[in-house]
Amino acid sequence: MERSVPTHHPRSIGRSHSRAKWGKRLSPYLLSLPAGLWLLLLFLVPLFIMLSMSLKTCSPASGQCYMTWNWGELPHQVSLYRAQFYTSLLFAACATLIDLVISFPIAYWIAFYGGRRKNFFLIMLLVPFFVSFIIRTLVWEFILSNNGFVLSFLRNSHLVSANFHVLGTGFAVIAGLAYNYLPFTALPLYVAIERIDRRVLDAAHDLYANRRAAFMRVILPLAVPGIFAAFLLTFIPAFGDYVNQEILGGTANTMIGTVIQNQFLINSDYAGGASLSVVLLAVSLIGIWAYARVLGSRAIEEYI
Amino acid sequence: MSKNEEMANPGIDPSFWRGMTQPRISRRQALGYAGAGALSTLLWDTMAGASSLPNASMGTKSWWAKQKLHHTVNFANWPYYIDVLKGKHPSLEHFTSTTGIAVNYSEVIQDNASFYQKIRPSLAAGQSTGYDIIVMTSNNPQLGYLIELGWLVPLDHAMMTNYEKNAGPLIKSPSWDPGNKYTMAWQSGWTAVGYNSKLVKSPGNSVDILFSKKYAGRVGMMSDVNELGSVGLLAIGVEPATSTEKDWSKAATKLQLQKSDGIVAGYYDQSYIEHLKNGDTVVSQVWSGDIFQADLNSKYKDLVLMIPQEGAMLWTDNMCIPIHAANPKDAMTIMDYYYGPQAQAVVEYYNDYICPVPSAKQALLHPSGWEATALRSLKTEIGLAYSVTADSSIVFPTPQRVKESKNYYQFKSQEEINAWNALFLPIIQGA
Repeated sequence: MERSVPTHHPRSIGRSHSRAKWGKRLSPYLLSLPAGLWLLLLFLVPLFIMLSMSLKTCSPASGQCYMTWNWGELPHQVSLYRAQFYTSLLFAACATLIDLVISFPIAYWIAFYGGRRKNFFLIMLLVPFFVSFIIRTLVWEFILSNNGFVLSFLRNSHLVSANFHVLGTGFAVIAGLAYNYLPFTALPLYVAIERIDRRVLDAAHDLYANRRAAFMRVILPLAVPGIFAAFLLTFIPAFGDYVNQEILGGTANTMIGTVIQNQFLINSDYAGGASLSVVLLAVSLIGIWAYARVLGSRAIEEYI
Repeated sequence: MSKNEEMANPGIDPSFWRGMTQPRISRRQALGYAGAGALSTLLWDTMAGASSLPNASMGTKSWWAKQKLHHTVNFANWPYYIDVLKGKHPSLEHFTSTTGIAVNYSEVIQDNASFYQKIRPSLAAGQSTGYDIIVMTSNNPQLGYLIELGWLVPLDHAMMTNYEKNAGPLIKSPSWDPGNKYTMAWQSGWTAVGYNSKLVKSPGNSVDILFSKKYAGRVGMMSDVNELGSVGLLAIGVEPATSTEKDWSKAATKLQLQKSDGIVAGYYDQSYIEHLKNGDTVVSQVWSGDIFQADLNSKYKDLVLMIPQEGAMLWTDNMCIPIHAANPKDAMTIMDYYYGPQAQAVVEYYNDYICPVPSAKQALLHPSGWEATALRSLKTEIGLAYSVTADSSIVFPTPQRVKESKNYYQFKSQEEINAWNALFLPIIQGA
């Protein structure tokens, strides 16, 4: 936690003094140059290109784009696809909430009661995710399809109506998102809970806190950075996700990721796709910014 | 004390798990990839103009004279579009055995827009798409784009002897390619209505069935904007070919309502047929031949094609040679081969789309050469008399039937295409 405070050497005077001063002024920038270049090349330049793409007019025939400073494209696209943004927000929020509710007890139990088998339990948690993301989702599609064995069985035993279906519903998409992003919630939570000093908990008990009070007033507050990190790591990718919606969803629950994908890969509407991407990114950045403001940017480094 | 010890040695270092998830790195990497993609588009923007210009002499007589046969051809087509017997294609096998040209036949085209999007970067960069023949539909703007941008090789009419002799009036020198400069039709078909007769008892004879609340949640629509918009226009009683932008927005409202009422199960590409087969949908927009092919399997005998009273949309899929194709002469050879009545008879007996070669009807009724053998072995699987196909007005349409079919709206400008897309795309990818 302690910061290294630069010490001023009393004997550095005269010419060497000014050189040292320059060096001292520049050194933080020089030291951060690699990171700065990295950010510039892999974040700011692409971001700028995406922003400029949203102002261009592209020919769907040749794919060539010309800068036309078309500021109207972004609001136009947002007005066309506002509903899909809301759907994405809602689905991502639901999936994140479900993940937090499921993961917290798991992470808590492994961290506190896992004992010497902690690694084993963590690996057990992760094993399903060793299979590719797409394949797992496709298998769910297979399991839950209308004529698949699960629904056939339920229908034949009259547990559900003949018209009952899972695929194509918002529920299926949320479930898919929650399933696919579970490790992104569970692991930061585990890290946060694992590092809680047990002596703090002992102290709480010494001070006559019952288990509930100790949990609510000690463990939960100490796990908050982990919860927030888990929230970001789950919510942001889920917000832009399109695979789950494409495979498990239907016509009434298109997410913004699907729209962006279609704009780029089917409709050749680069400006439209870029505009929507800009909005998606802005929403994500606001989330990260809020996190940094509430918990400090250091907390992001700890968990992400 | 034991607790303290446990704390000092808490199994695995949490940082390991942090490393496992590596979100910070991966997100940056993801952005990095996005950046590389965007950078390449930027570069491509600046270079495309120069490098995509086709060779001026391409497709001229002297250019064709210099081309040689390479005894291989890469043919990209749509699924369910050629004769199949136990995983092989008899008509292709006969072609290979008589000409020595091996055919790489791949069924990679699911819809025009996304396939165009896949091949365009290669074409713009002046590279081969990897295909010598692609099949694009007349009702979509993409075929027009390819022609306008000079991305198709003008055909060698000296190699089109079968075509000149046998091509039917429906597809010869069509409006989208006068004089067949760039294209030869593969098949034509109708976009009509299909339904499962076991579950749909009184289908009527109108496109209204697609909008009926009776089948809410079990109606399949097409994700192709042109197909979707056109059926919307038919449903409000407007001729698509002569429709106006006002009509389009009325049709869009009708289709939007159809979706918000929960009638639509999904907007599908070629996969619509699978959804109709497996019961996800009971009524669907369909392409004429697919239903006949599905009927070949006794499991799907209940699927029925209906040509609605409002009319069915008539389209043609066209074979064409993209520029920089490696084997243009081989491509010409096989394209013309399929204008022989025998080859068409074999294809039609299997796929039941509209035949571009009217004389194939006689070849099918009275097979004599190699096609007799091919048809006989196909018959063991299909089990129907040749006359069922030969006498079908869906395969060999009467002039009256052709006259009754509807044409798509021909877009006159990019603005019109944009207006159409702005109305119908949000329905397909709607919330």
